[in-house]
Amino acid sequence: MQEDFHYYATYAAAILAGYTHKESLDIAYSAQFVDLCSRTLLSKIKAPLKAATTQLQLEMMDARTDIAGLQDITRIWASFHFLPLDLYAVKEKRPKRYMNKYRLICGPNGELVKKTVDLAKDKPLPSTGIAMHVLADTWAHSYFAGTPSLVINNTTDEFYEIITTETGSAERKMQFRHNPGADDILDESIYTNSIYQGSENSIMNLGHARAGHLPDYSFARYRYLPAWNDYKDVIKDNPSDYLNAFCQMIRAMRFLRSDLPVFETHEYDYDIIKPYEDRIRTILTKRQPIASGDWKAFGQELSSESIDDFDINRYQDEYLSAVDKNSTFLGQFINGSIAHKGMVCRQIFESGNMLAGFVG
Amino acid sequence: MHRIKEIISGLFMILGAAIMISDPQYGYMFVILVLALLLIVLGIKRLFYYFTMARFMVDGKESLYKGVLLLDFGALTGSLTDVPQFYVLAYLIAIHAFTGLVEILRAREARSQGAKMWRMKMLHGIIDLVMAVICIIFINEESIAVLIYGIGLIYSAIIKISMAFRKTKFVYIQ
Repeated sequence: MQEDFHYYATYAAAILAGYTHKESLDIAYSAQFVDLCSRTLLSKIKAPLKAATTQLQLEMMDARTDIAGLQDITRIWASFHFLPLDLYAVKEKRPKRYMNKYRLICGPNGELVKKTVDLAKDKPLPSTGIAMHVLADTWAHSYFAGTPSLVINNTTDEFYEIITTETGSAERKMQFRHNPGADDILDESIYTNSIYQGSENSIMNLGHARAGHLPDYSFARYRYLPAWNDYKDVIKDNPSDYLNAFCQMIRAMRFLRSDLPVFETHEYDYDIIKPYEDRIRTILTKRQPIASGDWKAFGQELSSESIDDFDINRYQDEYLSAVDKNSTFLGQFINGSIAHKGMVCRQIFESGNMLAGFVG
Repeated sequence: MHRIKEIISGLFMILGAAIMISDPQYGYMFVILVLALLLIVLGIKRLFYYFTMARFMVDGKESLYKGVLLLDFGALTGSLTDVPQFYVLAYLIAIHAFTGLVEILRAREARSQGAKMWRMKMLHGIIDLVMAVICIIFINEESIAVLIYGIGLIYSAIIKISMAFRKTKFVYIQ
């Protein structure tokens, strides 16, 4: 997902969940900041590096893919962007080496989603934002794992975009290219993806890199052959998945602000969005590289307030000058990210999987 | 890390070429031994990967074929140490020509996908192929052929090292 959903749509969901304008802005800021809180940024503001929630391109290029390097990558990407669906998934006649990767495949409504939301309960608002980022990404990043893996994350030439036509829908073969700096050409289904690397642990095989940015586009619907699914197709319907993500975020945030006694998976607040459903579906299905403008307009109409553009530097001075850093916005974000990463990595470790390292 | 590995392997190629040019007789033995060991280790690694991982993935058989081929090439390369220099050279030329051909095919693929690096790959492939052809023409004059092959090897090593410094596209996941 991109800034359009993590910042503007999260703001709208927070408003619909009952938060004030200011609270919703903080939650949205935190949700988007998960995509920007790299070690480079943390070292700039002299914050603990273990709070990193993402890795920059340059950091990725220098990342090692030996066991320690893989664990470092997995801790970040599996925790914040590809939350595993089922750490105890069963698949017969597969060695443990394979299953360790298979069990990190991301998907919505897993046990870890509930644990993520529960962990944010009674915590400062940045923790709510982190949880909303993680929850939303389980929908967008389904079927890919947050660890480098050819046997899980590779895709084949069998990749078709499902296009809506006047008479219904049609399939159009995707064209992938590896042209650095080239924009995706949406009207012709030409997309950039990472280049094929036959090495299992190549950084090119992390997450959905082999499928390009398709999972990040809310309008995209496509059919493809994932490496792990025994030659069975997968159909990914992003407009539907993004709508579910939006309604589940509202549900989770109503729990976090104590409107609901408990948060359960597979429950969505469709009723709350009923008056706006057509508007939301229109935004989600519009073919555009990023829908920030549409979501921003929608959010502003909901709250009758102006939404500031996202500014990565907004809270950095406050953090740098604070004596008690834990009371600052970024201090609370950092505490929340460390707690969340620790929880997910502990769960992975306790499942007998060492890909996220040892958690004592 | 990957870049460092590429640079080190490039430096080893230059060292091998220098040995070949300065002392063709013992240079052959050295190069063949290293090449055989390398291919055998890579073949075994690839086969292990197939049986534990790749056989469960779509198109995973590619790893099996690669593993068998690498192992086979390794065994064949090792067995060439006792045969006349002429055949060793012919074998190395074949590998060189094959590499050139693969580079040209990959350059064509890169071009069709819009990657800017295709010219570099194409040039590398063509030069590799031309080197192999010249070696074949002078195959009876071993000293000339060894010299040409050695120069070709140094050229490949330089390309390898320079490629290690190039920027690589990575799709940033959000």
